[in-house]
Amino acid sequence: MAEVPILVVGGGPAGASAAATLVEAGLRVLLIEQRDRLGGAIHRQTASGAESPVWRPARHRRNWAALTARLGAAAERIDIRTQTVFLGVDGEGRFLFEDRRSERVLARRPRAAIIAVGAIETIRPFPGWELPGVMTVGGAQVLLKETGRPPAGPVLIAGSGPLLPALAAQLARAGNPPVAVLERGRPWRAPGALARLILSGGPTGEAASYAAVLAAHRVPYRCGASALRAEPDGDGLKVACRIGTSEQSLHVRHLLIHDGIVPNRTGIPLPAPEAAVPVLQAGDGREALGADAAILDGRRAALQVLARLGHASTAGAASLERPLQRARDFQAALAEALHSARVAPSPETLICRCEGRSYADLAALAEDASAREIRLMGRFGLGACQGRLCGPMIEALRAQPLPATSSPRWPLRPVSVAALARLTADETE
Amino acid sequence: MSSHLFWNGVPIAFEPGETIAAALLRAGIVDLGRPDDGPGGRVFCGIGACQGCVVTVAGAAPVEACLTPARDGLRLGPLPWIGADHG
Amino acid sequence: MASSTSIHVAVIGAGIVGASAAHFLAAAGARVTLLDASGPAGGATGASDGAVSVASKRPGPMMDLARHARAFYARCEREGLFRGLFHRRSTFLVARTAVEADLVAQHGADLARAGERVFEVDRATLLERVPGLGASVCAALEIPDDGHALGYEITERLLRGTSVDIRRSAPASEIVTQAGRVAGVAVRDDLLAADAVLVAAGIGSAPLLGLGDILIPRKGQMVVTDRAGSAGPAIDGHLMAASYLAAKRGIVRDNGHIGLVIDPLMTGQFLIGGSREDHRSDHTTDASTIAAILREALDLYPPLAQRRVLRSFAGVRTASRDGLPIVGPHPRHDGLVVATGFEGDGICLGPLMGASAARLLLGQNPDVDLSALAPERFLRAEVHA
Repeated sequence: MAEVPILVVGGGPAGASAAATLVEAGLRVLLIEQRDRLGGAIHRQTASGAESPVWRPARHRRNWAALTARLGAAAERIDIRTQTVFLGVDGEGRFLFEDRRSERVLARRPRAAIIAVGAIETIRPFPGWELPGVMTVGGAQVLLKETGRPPAGPVLIAGSGPLLPALAAQLARAGNPPVAVLERGRPWRAPGALARLILSGGPTGEAASYAAVLAAHRVPYRCGASALRAEPDGDGLKVACRIGTSEQSLHVRHLLIHDGIVPNRTGIPLPAPEAAVPVLQAGDGREALGADAAILDGRRAALQVLARLGHASTAGAASLERPLQRARDFQAALAEALHSARVAPSPETLICRCEGRSYADLAALAEDASAREIRLMGRFGLGACQGRLCGPMIEALRAQPLPATSSPRWPLRPVSVAALARLTADETE
Repeated sequence: MSSHLFWNGVPIAFEPGETIAAALLRAGIVDLGRPDDGPGGRVFCGIGACQGCVVTVAGAAPVEACLTPARDGLRLGPLPWIGADHG
Repeated sequence: MASSTSIHVAVIGAGIVGASAAHFLAAAGARVTLLDASGPAGGATGASDGAVSVASKRPGPMMDLARHARAFYARCEREGLFRGLFHRRSTFLVARTAVEADLVAQHGADLARAGERVFEVDRATLLERVPGLGASVCAALEIPDDGHALGYEITERLLRGTSVDIRRSAPASEIVTQAGRVAGVAVRDDLLAADAVLVAAGIGSAPLLGLGDILIPRKGQMVVTDRAGSAGPAIDGHLMAASYLAAKRGIVRDNGHIGLVIDPLMTGQFLIGGSREDHRSDHTTDASTIAAILREALDLYPPLAQRRVLRSFAGVRTASRDGLPIVGPHPRHDGLVVATGFEGDGICLGPLMGASAARLLLGQNPDVDLSALAPERFLRAEVHA
């Protein structure tokens, strides 16, 4: 009987790095990826499999080429399942997946699991954020990488964070410079944090090249500016914006929004390194530190699993701590530099798009409402996204963590009834 | 030779390996719902998390347009409207 | 009003029964504190199907009480309290084998004897009412006067705008008595003084009342699907398989038996249940049980193949040893009333049972005959020195 593999969920930089480290140590790996190719959001390739023509730092290309070479070198020990969606762990310890090609749900009992499902973008809701034509900055970037085509028509980018100018520059280079980039933060008001950013050894060269592209294409980058409202307007959107102290209206086809990222943890099993089946998280899904740190963090998780299974010492792990801490410091300085006070949205602002629930509905809940009440009576987190999108918004607006539900939930993603019904026996290979 | 899927019965061309979302957006289809029925579906997060781009598939369960490769002859349409007005 | 304004009632358990009692007590002028270990609808009330159904009840007192309880829902709907939350709809009892057809026919006869309207439905008619129904369905009865309501929505409505003091994360640890009369409730290290106490805490009632051998937790796993449509329920009635009747009538007692129901929700979603797992009080769900439920559901109603499961969840029903709820005054402690053991019938019976418990706590007679549910049948045997 074949050796039971280690499960790695997610084929982005953290998952690929974890998988490569494990197979290099001689172990077998089952690598699950929801898309048809590895790469994750950051290293997304084009639909045809060719290297994406989208302009981005050379470092990212090198990193991904190195990871794919390592995976390729040990291909016989790694079982890569693409178009396979992780559904979570059930009450009896089965790791569940939906294979979208065969339309079946699979159950596995791995020796250990590393969950590297990345981050999700947060947004600050405003009236109209739910409309077609509004997309996240990251979502638009993934599409750009896959297709090489920028979205058609006028594009406005609003929110906060370094992804805004990055995508703006990529869109400009791809032939459709955005009409403006509205950054909510006012970094000059936090000179200490700015200084730390510059001294951090972070990707300041990258930032400078984005700035140069934006300048060359005359894309305005405004700080202390934000989108206030969007409404349908002919074939596009009318977006009311605050820029400094004035309000103005822009007509665009696409509004791209983004206010940072948070680990994608909804329903993900908690780390349990000492359990009979050790479970670890890695990459942005553990702590949102970005693509470079994710590679280190995937390796760190793999070394922990190896140590736990008695395969190697964790000697290599200590050297990873310092660069991870640097990434953490950089993210903290960035957050401080771009910090902006949160303003409660207007009552009619949609919070849960899946179930059509507004801020007024959220505010009507008791302050000490239980998880069950928020879900069932508020209908927040009950929809198809399972609270992945509204959860971080609700936490921020209520200024308290969401109370945990009584037991871990599965499926993590909606799953075909027919596919789940086909699960007839445990397949523990 | 070109391949087509169908959105509300209208043929939409796609390139090999492309997702449903990419094909629809290229055809200028941004609103994946019915305008009278509240916010329609739309591609939003691009990574399957937000479920905003889920579309109906004839003869099968709905899928996320942003995750699912386009296939020749696939017949797609909007989801029934979502929302809390069910009292 | 004079006597009731002065009394303070502690209600333990903010499920549908406790919420109903609290509502009607407050409406009568009592001061009410509603305690729950988590919060409103935190137990079985928030993890159940939405059947306000006489069709599913065991013949005898349960069937009769369910008819009263359903009428109470209709009255509360008419009078505004449950407006928009209670919906009349048919229940279809469906059989897929000759043996099941006999069982359904027998159950139909029992329902008719209890005064219920029961129609035989041939396959062609049934297919018009529920297009796409599975080929295996060979016989069906329609019970046209049943209804639908969601326990957590009813609970929220009962508590909304009342003077009830709701205390969340307040687990009751002990009923405090003095000279044969209830004096209050211990909540963690505090004593909540009360003139009267209602225990309506589901399986949590067992340690409070010493009913550990009498009350059995019975876990039920369920799923909710995405929406099949946008204009209300996707099918014109609640589908109840003979396997569910078999369990309710005590014909099947296998642990882990699946009693299949397909409940079309007002949202256009389906709620599909469920397993019956005795002595399980955890809330986990497992893929093999859920897959088995879905296979049964697809056989009964194949169009579910075009739906996605949004979530799985488990509720813990509280069953008594003889299968009947326990409702009435405690035989040994004045001022203490019990309302628990509703198994899978709490949503249907809850509002009426809560209202009845409220009357008992106020020293009034309930509107229905609760003698079959009297706590004495379990509590009398224990003799204190």
